[in-house]
Amino acid sequence: MDVNTAFTWLLMVPMISSAVIYLIGRIFSRGLKNDKKTNPAKWLALIALLVTGIFLYFIITNVFSTGQTHYQNFGDVWFRFDGISMMLSLLVLVLGILVTIYSFTYMGKESGEEKFYALLVMMIGAINGLGCALDLFNLWVWFEVMTISSIVLVAFYKDQAASLEAGVKYLIQSATGSVMVVIGIALIFLETGTLNIEMMRMSINSPSPFLIIGGALLVIGFGVKIAMVPLHTWLPDAHSQAPSGISAMLSGVVIEVGLIALLRALGGIALSGGRWGYLLIGFGVLNMIVGNLLALRQNEVKRLLAYSSLSHVGYMLLGFGVLISLNGLLAGVGAVFHLITHGLMKSLAFLAAGVFLYNFHISKGSHKVLVLDDLNGASKKYPFTAFAFSVALLSLGGLPPLAGFMSKWQLLAGIAQTQNTIMIILVIFAGLMSVLSLGYYAPLVNRMYRKEPADIVMEGESVSIWMYIPLALLTLAVVVLGFVPSLLYWLTGPAGYSLFIFFGQ
Amino acid sequence: MNISTSMIVLIAVMGLFGVGLYCLLITRNLIRLLVGLQIMVKGAMLLLVFVGQSQGQPSLGQSMALTVIVADTIVAVIGLALAVQVKRIVGTLDIADISKLKR
Amino acid sequence: MLQIEPLVLITILVPWFGASVVWLIGDRYEKIQHVSAVVFSITAAISSIAMLWVYKSGTVLSFSMGSAYGDFTFISDGLGLFLSIVATVIGALAIIFSVDYMHGSAQLGRYYSFVLFFIGAMVGLVLTSNLLLMFIFWEITALCSYALISFYNDDPKAVAGGMKALIMTQVGGLGLLLAAALLFAYSGSFDINIFISNPSLFPSNILAIMAFGMLIAAAAKSAQFPFQTWLPDAMEAPSPISALIHAATMVNAGVYLLARFYPAFKDVPGWTMSVMIVGMLSALMAALMALVANDLKRVLAYSTVSQLGYMVYAVGAGDILASQFHLFSHSVFKALLFLAAGAVIHSVGTRDMREMGGLGKELPFARTVFIIGSLALAGIPIFNGFWSKELILEAGLEHGNPIWIYVIMLIVTGLTALYTTRCVWMVFYGENKLDRHIHPVGRNMKIALTPLAIGAFSTWILIGPFSKMMSSSLPVHSIQEVNLSELFNHVVFAPATWIALAVIALGIMTWFGRGTLTGIRQALKPIAGMAEASFGFEKINKFIVGATQGLGESLRITQTGKLNWNVFYILVTLVVVFAVLMIGA
Repeated sequence: MDVNTAFTWLLMVPMISSAVIYLIGRIFSRGLKNDKKTNPAKWLALIALLVTGIFLYFIITNVFSTGQTHYQNFGDVWFRFDGISMMLSLLVLVLGILVTIYSFTYMGKESGEEKFYALLVMMIGAINGLGCALDLFNLWVWFEVMTISSIVLVAFYKDQAASLEAGVKYLIQSATGSVMVVIGIALIFLETGTLNIEMMRMSINSPSPFLIIGGALLVIGFGVKIAMVPLHTWLPDAHSQAPSGISAMLSGVVIEVGLIALLRALGGIALSGGRWGYLLIGFGVLNMIVGNLLALRQNEVKRLLAYSSLSHVGYMLLGFGVLISLNGLLAGVGAVFHLITHGLMKSLAFLAAGVFLYNFHISKGSHKVLVLDDLNGASKKYPFTAFAFSVALLSLGGLPPLAGFMSKWQLLAGIAQTQNTIMIILVIFAGLMSVLSLGYYAPLVNRMYRKEPADIVMEGESVSIWMYIPLALLTLAVVVLGFVPSLLYWLTGPAGYSLFIFFGQ
Repeated sequence: MNISTSMIVLIAVMGLFGVGLYCLLITRNLIRLLVGLQIMVKGAMLLLVFVGQSQGQPSLGQSMALTVIVADTIVAVIGLALAVQVKRIVGTLDIADISKLKR
Repeated sequence: MLQIEPLVLITILVPWFGASVVWLIGDRYEKIQHVSAVVFSITAAISSIAMLWVYKSGTVLSFSMGSAYGDFTFISDGLGLFLSIVATVIGALAIIFSVDYMHGSAQLGRYYSFVLFFIGAMVGLVLTSNLLLMFIFWEITALCSYALISFYNDDPKAVAGGMKALIMTQVGGLGLLLAAALLFAYSGSFDINIFISNPSLFPSNILAIMAFGMLIAAAAKSAQFPFQTWLPDAMEAPSPISALIHAATMVNAGVYLLARFYPAFKDVPGWTMSVMIVGMLSALMAALMALVANDLKRVLAYSTVSQLGYMVYAVGAGDILASQFHLFSHSVFKALLFLAAGAVIHSVGTRDMREMGGLGKELPFARTVFIIGSLALAGIPIFNGFWSKELILEAGLEHGNPIWIYVIMLIVTGLTALYTTRCVWMVFYGENKLDRHIHPVGRNMKIALTPLAIGAFSTWILIGPFSKMMSSSLPVHSIQEVNLSELFNHVVFAPATWIALAVIALGIMTWFGRGTLTGIRQALKPIAGMAEASFGFEKINKFIVGATQGLGESLRITQTGKLNWNVFYILVTLVVVFAVLMIGA
């Protein structure tokens, strides 16, 4: 297959199938009002994602066989499929497929399943496009598509006040961020006269206040989506109220996508004289400490996980900041690796928490939140889910031999490699934060292995096979990557390197 | 393009953005919040059109503004749909009543 | 036909494989779990003993992991080999003991899996020459330790003890993390042997950071000053775990680390002195605390801290052999003491020594082995603890080491004898205060205790091969080979030995003459009070935990949940970022 065709379809398939899924699902759900037959939307979604995966596979093999970054244009709008795009597309597709399978059961009893799957596929498609957009405005468009679909998904339980509240907050705050991004883009365009990020790099030859203001607006605008502290206030609400599969996508990919978008955009104005790298490091430090401290005293499981995402984004910000400002290639590769492992382990954590939530509450039609006490002795009835959740939590806490340790290590080793005194202090700080995070992950694990189970555990339903599949695969991935971190070099290396040359002087 | 025009436009953009943001800061009514958001977006659109003009690519600037309009309309629609739903479920449009998720 | 390469891998991987097997068997088949755990641990022990015939110096295995991980290399030199034998053999004995001790307990799969996982990780920790891999194994042992301390998750004290151990060793582990990261940053590899043969290639300030980082890591792992507080709280673990992890193996990892890196850091100004002082303070404070504690296992925990202090002191004093030899003796007799204590606790159902007394008649076997262990701990001649402790004390007098630290260490030997006597007396002699039923000691318990009791008598005979193994396989540590008659001459004809014996005798006499010494006891009341309050370290720990949690709690106010405030934060950030960038640019 021609790589150009494959690339076109990579972008088109999710968008087209999103509409198809909605229409067909809608027709069927009308027709089968009282029937027990299942809605075909979920199968269509799975097929659409698998087909997208096939096109992605063609592009990746092509990129590796030619050894060249793939460029493609639609009119004036250029796309570039490089290491970062590859990493992002692959991560989002893998997680998307797992979440789709997971949702077979989780969303099975909801009305409007077709909306759920259509939006999920649309969100995944938007992230695919965002990963390779080389045009600054086009980047924003993909970003906005992703935001819109995720807002609706967050507020999916439209009869629940809490879910609506999270949706409203998410909408207003991310829309505010979007406006700032647009203004930032306009200011940069005003200064450079181009929207193509690579051209932009060449046209900048002197520092300029407009570029710095524009860049700052981009940092804030995307920062809202990345949940940089103190722009993070929407995150705990949205991530804890969304359906668990969506929480997994939001925490595992969507906030990181904001980060990638920001890095792409900043790559264009890297020579503007702004100290973007140090800014990111500063936010990273704030994220780590605030995220961990806020998570420390949480009582709701999903909210706790949401806060822990803050601190993990902090690690990535730190790594990318070092990449930008100190040319720390290894730190960048480590940050990419952490992005991937965080995607895997945080989705695993949310999906496992979702299994408990679903079987304790949702399957009985209740929308109560999952609190810590509900997990007491959960291993008695749900041994595998408890094990998977423990693996995810301990990996998030950075304990070997799990993936989270390996990626944190690579990140910190990369930072230390700069041989810069302040950076070495930051390594200690990041390590200390990792220890602090164990202060809330570890007791959760202890709870699940109590011998006296909570009443709600024994009354819980049994877990469906569709939920086990993604849990098992993700657990396997987290453990295997912990033993053999080199398995993903082919992915993280090029991704880090393509960022590196993006920011290289 | 002379300086004074661009000054005026930039001030207008800042004004619109400021008014919108101020609205988001003080108002508690959900509909008004969405209106505030709209005002901010209008500032962004104005800037886009102006930037396209001043870079000698008016069509590009306008098409970008148009895209923003579309995206923004969708956001507004979703926002209003949420507002309807909030009114139905919670009973008010005052966001003070939907501030249960905290800490 | 023995080859070292497969043996190294077998010793690490067999327990790990066993861990997954036991876990997969499931808790329904309790008997199979017991048997398979025993089989796997004994296999590992045999394979690690087999290494004795084929050990060699230098790297034996290497797996390339690329970029930030270096080559995962394994070695089999004396230092590592001997600790791996200790870990696997005592591990096997602890598991055999557990067959009785954990009989009928729920969630056995989790228990055995973590014990086996721990044994493999401990072997890996001492048999690797990649500092990162060492750090990984280091953290895995911490993970297992945490999981096993809080094995009884329903007991909040057990959970708190596990958390405390985890957090404190992790905080210390940051020192090792930093050292590993710096080693990588300045040399591009993680190979320990290359590093310790030419440390002078490093800038002196970086070397100093690494040296003290490792000291912190070692202190946290070995429960030394100022991290000593986690070990007593770790006693909530089942007794075999206390014997294996918190007496014989994991806590020795810190001493091992110091010994391993001694050649690289000995010229760092102030490092050896700091090591000696850390060892001295831990030995002294723990001995005082052991004197006033009433919980049987806590007394043993304090005595572990105290004895580890001796080993750390020996490293600082420059005698690696003495330190490792004491580590060897200590592993044997302390495992014996803990297992015997476990048997006693299992029989009577309490850990409080004030409720015991006169148990000697009911539990003659436990009494015999416990007393053997105690004599070794107190440093009574013939027992292994005597020889190794004397070697340490003599090292304290050589190489121009400060004499005042030696004097304090000497006093601690007296204190050791005193608290050991007190402990034996309170448990096995005096009047019987228990009127409840006493279980007899189980058969598997006896099987596990007997070899340890014999070891406490006799392991010192092995000094010849022990020192030969070390001296021949560790080129840069400059360890002298010592044979048995040399040891004998060295110890028996040294005046220091006789002084030490006099102090020990004084310590024992103090216990029996306690009735006549009321005046002194009154005078020492304030010290006893301080020791009971663990010299304020508990308070510091509590303060740190409380302050962190308080900070977390108060920070939650910022999450107002009000949309206007959220938008306000965006505005503030915008202003701050503008300001920062304008100033920065």
